[in-house]
Amino acid sequence: MSAAVSSEPYKLSAGALALLVHGAFFLLLYVSFSWQMKPPQGMVVDIWESLPAEFDVQAPVTAPAPIEKPEPAKPPRVEAAPALPPRADIDLKDKKKKLKAESTAEQRLAEKKAEQAERRMEEVERQAQARSQARQKEQAEAAAAAGRVVDEYIAKIAAKVRRFIVLPPGVSPQIRAEFNVTLLPGGEVLNASLAKSSGNEAYDAAVERAILKAQPLPLPPAEKNMFNRFRDLRLKFSPAESGQ
Amino acid sequence: MDATQNLSLMPLISGASLPVQLVMGLLLMVSLLSWWFIFLKMFAIRQAKSQSDVFEEAFWGHPDLARLYKDFLDEREAAGSLERIFAAGYSEFVKLKKKSDMDNAAVMDGARRAMRATYQREMDDLESHLSFLATVGSVSPYVGLLGTVWGIMNAFRGLSNVGQATLAHVAPGIAEALIATAMGLFAAIPAVVAYNRYATDTSRLSSRFESFMEEFSNVLQRQP
Repeated sequence: MSAAVSSEPYKLSAGALALLVHGAFFLLLYVSFSWQMKPPQGMVVDIWESLPAEFDVQAPVTAPAPIEKPEPAKPPRVEAAPALPPRADIDLKDKKKKLKAESTAEQRLAEKKAEQAERRMEEVERQAQARSQARQKEQAEAAAAAGRVVDEYIAKIAAKVRRFIVLPPGVSPQIRAEFNVTLLPGGEVLNASLAKSSGNEAYDAAVERAILKAQPLPLPPAEKNMFNRFRDLRLKFSPAESGQ
Repeated sequence: MDATQNLSLMPLISGASLPVQLVMGLLLMVSLLSWWFIFLKMFAIRQAKSQSDVFEEAFWGHPDLARLYKDFLDEREAAGSLERIFAAGYSEFVKLKKKSDMDNAAVMDGARRAMRATYQREMDDLESHLSFLATVGSVSPYVGLLGTVWGIMNAFRGLSNVGQATLAHVAPGIAEALIATAMGLFAAIPAVVAYNRYATDTSRLSSRFESFMEEFSNVLQRQP
């Protein structure tokens, strides 16, 4: 009773100290856990033997030069049209050579018209060509980009699987095993079957284990809608590539 | 479960199952309470010691009992345990002395009883909450362990649905479960240390009070 009264003034400070201890402890825990949050990120390096389709894509980029040509062709046609009426007027004034002039004028007119028509046709044709070229170029570019992504991810898949291959001893580096791999959209392997044996059963089995162990395999993000190109893959593995 | 899970503290706690979270909440509360009592007792025992020192010095310095008693009556609030024991004994002694029909032994017995009663009350106050610290120290590791076992059971139950079991599947569950044990230990270790420390302190204070009571009885007996 009496001692409780005497310790009354300490109640608040004791409570504050208790909270302080807990705050410090949780801060310590939180900070130390945060340090662990930085994951030990293993650096992944994919070695490319040949550069992907980048050069194929750059070639069409230089193509625009022929498309620009039709545009300078326009001015001559525009000049030719106004040139006609004054000549016709001159021909009409000269009465002696009226007939001849008329005929020549008609001839010239006809010629001019034919020429004009021809030019227009050419123009239209060129424009159509340019348009189709541009479209082709776009398509080619899109296809090349898609191809690049496919190549990139196939290389990533192969690289990831390669990381999991445990090479059995005494494997010749020249052999090559081919696998048909069926994937699910999440990157899981539905089925991995040996398409072409390397001739070394241990290596075939090691690769198959590695394919299963490497799940989920890297796939392009779902919004690219490219999974159909990854549904069935044919992957080739050779001990020479493993770099071990 | 995904191998790249966020293993920081907060998601681990919020992601734990309900029983584990309950255990964690209980342990947090117990730990807060026990730390509160630890500080409360620390201050109370320190105060009791210093007050006893001050009073003993005053008592042996100039043993004018009537003046000491008057000081106590003047500053009732600031009085320590030892001073209250002294006051109870002295006031009883004075009251009984006034009755002329009491013999000296009966007066001494009455003063002694009054001092003993006050002493019991003071010791009770000093020892209050110590049993709580002892309980926390011995029980909270088990409570934490219960939470951990529950969490690990859950983690392994989740594992049964996975064909290929890897460490990544169980690790988050075990990590979140182990937090319960960590909290239990965090509550228990200071409680045990504080209990041992304060138990020693109060027993020393108690022996000090008892010896003072004996000596004061002698002083009273010498009173005319």
